[in-house]
Amino acid sequence: MATLEALLIDLTLRVTDLQQLNAILGDPQTTALITGGLVAFAAALPGTFLLLRKLAMTTDAISHTVLLGIVLAFLLLAALPGLEADLNSPWLIFGAALAGLATVLLTGAIQRSGLVKEDAALGLVFPLLFAIAIILISRLTDDVHLDSDAVILGEIGVVWADARSHCLQDCEPVHITPDDPRAETGRRCTNCAELDIGPRDPAAEFEEYCLNCGRYTTAEAWRARLVPQAPTQVFWPRAITSMLLVALLNLAFILLFYKELKLGTFDPALAAALGLRPALLNTALMVLVSITAVAAFDAVGSVLVVAFFIIPPATAWLLSDRLAHILLLAPLGGVLASFTGYEFSRGNLLGIAQMRDLLQLLDETIGLDGFTEWNTSISAAIVLMMFLFFLLAWVFSPRQGLLLSLLQHRARRQHFAEQLLLGHVHHHQGTAEAASELAQDRLHLHLGWTPRRTQRVLMRLRLRDLVASEDGTLQLTARGERSVRRFMALRGAGGASPAGD
Amino acid sequence: MNQPPALHVEDLTVAFDSRPALWDVDLSVPEGVLMAVVGPNGAGKTTLIRAALDLIPRAAGSVRIFGEPVARARGLTGYVPQRGSVDWDFPTTVQDVVMMGLYGRLGWLRRPGAAERTRTRQALEQIGIADLATRQISQLSGGQQQRTFLARALVQDARLYFMDEPFAAVDAITERAIVALLQELRARGRTVVVVHHDLQSVPDYFDQVTLLNVEVIASGPTAEVYSEDNLRRTFGGRVAGIARLTEEALP
Repeated sequence: MATLEALLIDLTLRVTDLQQLNAILGDPQTTALITGGLVAFAAALPGTFLLLRKLAMTTDAISHTVLLGIVLAFLLLAALPGLEADLNSPWLIFGAALAGLATVLLTGAIQRSGLVKEDAALGLVFPLLFAIAIILISRLTDDVHLDSDAVILGEIGVVWADARSHCLQDCEPVHITPDDPRAETGRRCTNCAELDIGPRDPAAEFEEYCLNCGRYTTAEAWRARLVPQAPTQVFWPRAITSMLLVALLNLAFILLFYKELKLGTFDPALAAALGLRPALLNTALMVLVSITAVAAFDAVGSVLVVAFFIIPPATAWLLSDRLAHILLLAPLGGVLASFTGYEFSRGNLLGIAQMRDLLQLLDETIGLDGFTEWNTSISAAIVLMMFLFFLLAWVFSPRQGLLLSLLQHRARRQHFAEQLLLGHVHHHQGTAEAASELAQDRLHLHLGWTPRRTQRVLMRLRLRDLVASEDGTLQLTARGERSVRRFMALRGAGGASPAGD
Repeated sequence: MNQPPALHVEDLTVAFDSRPALWDVDLSVPEGVLMAVVGPNGAGKTTLIRAALDLIPRAAGSVRIFGEPVARARGLTGYVPQRGSVDWDFPTTVQDVVMMGLYGRLGWLRRPGAAERTRTRQALEQIGIADLATRQISQLSGGQQQRTFLARALVQDARLYFMDEPFAAVDAITERAIVALLQELRARGRTVVVVHHDLQSVPDYFDQVTLLNVEVIASGPTAEVYSEDNLRRTFGGRVAGIARLTEEALP
């Protein structure tokens, strides 16, 4: 991790200077944006396949049960001699991945046992594992800081605070010996305690000793003014590194195994028959989901992380019906929602409105008891924004959007009304009752429509030169005749679909 | 020594929770024949295919494909699962699904390239759905879905095909297309094992038939084993008009 961070620092320093980099990494807003974006990106990739495999809620289960893996790994590390129990140990990730797998396997076993129905198996397994984790945490690790808000919602706003320092220049530790010019010496009484006398007593004896001898890290030496030059340091937030690693891992996995994942998701039986090991790939996917959930844990908590896995791919699926496009759109949409969601948590709704103004308006109109301060959890705001994107996609989707289907419905109804009117004219024109049936001002009585609607339909037909009127009596034009015949032929063929195939 | 049969199943038993789905099945399919597997619901027809492809564990017995264990014969087999076994809302196109048949040959990590696209194109044309190539699969009719699956099997270019109810709920045109494809595969010396439901058409379409009801009731050339007596033993007299059926169908 540290090496990777050093590399990243090296790279970023080629495009920016040190001061700017430290300003960026020390800024809660920028780090939250970067971390949130990375979480969204990393989660949307495996999330797309989970969604297609109808495993959306498995993500939710895994994001909880990984906690048990972390706790067990932590306890194991503490119990084993020679290993240090530390909340940043990579072994915890290993434990989390195992717990994620255990969740999937246990759920599968319970499903196969037939004791409960499918979704209930998940409902049995994940609270069980989560409850064990909670008990272990509260019983055995009083000194570990894990507060419930952080577990549920994460603390993306303070990821900047948990940083590793990287020293770039003037980094040598300082060792002050008594003969160092910087050594400060003092005197202390050697027999005062023994004789019960004060240092001013003439009998007191003294020795010299070094006040500031010892080893200092560079930062300590600078604080103690032992070195003239402040060390050049970069404070790199750990969350950014781990999320970046996970994002790259997920990206690599999906780029490498795109074809195998696609077939294993669409038709696992064929994948197995072709020797492509879909079960193994599924295990790998679940491990990645577990790792992603753990890495995202600090930032967005265990409850809302499922949204990062599922909502952006679901949104992308509304917008496209090609897997490759969904895999491209989902992470991008997730990152966008993450950025705008962060702004939203600070009261800025997509740059359109300020939440404070909206709340004030609501307070004045319906009364919110003066609740006009909009200051909310960042991860919750991101999730709301993701959902807003989903709604927008649903309304405007070119494939199955609400707006589209309303428009299509309207167009179908209009088309049908037009054909109905044309058919009526066709049926009666040239007959004895034509004068009464096709009189323009009495037409609505025959059709049982309102006069307004009748006029509207007639107007559209006239504009397209399908009917004409002669002395107030309607008549089909040549085009109108053709249209009627086409429609009747379609209806006769059993398909009244106006669009045709 | 004789050529090994395309499929040789010996003493195969498959059980779900110690309830046997297949019981001591012995079966041999010579190369170059079209064989129907016929039996009532729950007879283990699909299970037979899945066990033969090593997709489910066997409780006992062995399966050999051209004399090889299944794992070594993956490149020789093609599989057309039941149409309903996949989610047709999956975001992909017809040509994409067909190309999936080439994934086994491509192996891990390699991407389909120009050669694969050409073969996909040819298979689509041969099955007569080239015009649907870029269509989203959720917009296909049942018959078109089935043809997509057949095109996918075709690109696998296997020597032994397993097809699970390819004729289920397809229109007459698709049925004819499937029959034409089966005959062409046979002409090219391929072997096809088809789970089949329409008892009437068995003698018309297939050289050999296996009558299955957990156990193999009879297996062999259609003219020899497709008799009223065997059908009765397979279906337990549950199929109305078995007598009429075999009288009409068999000379």
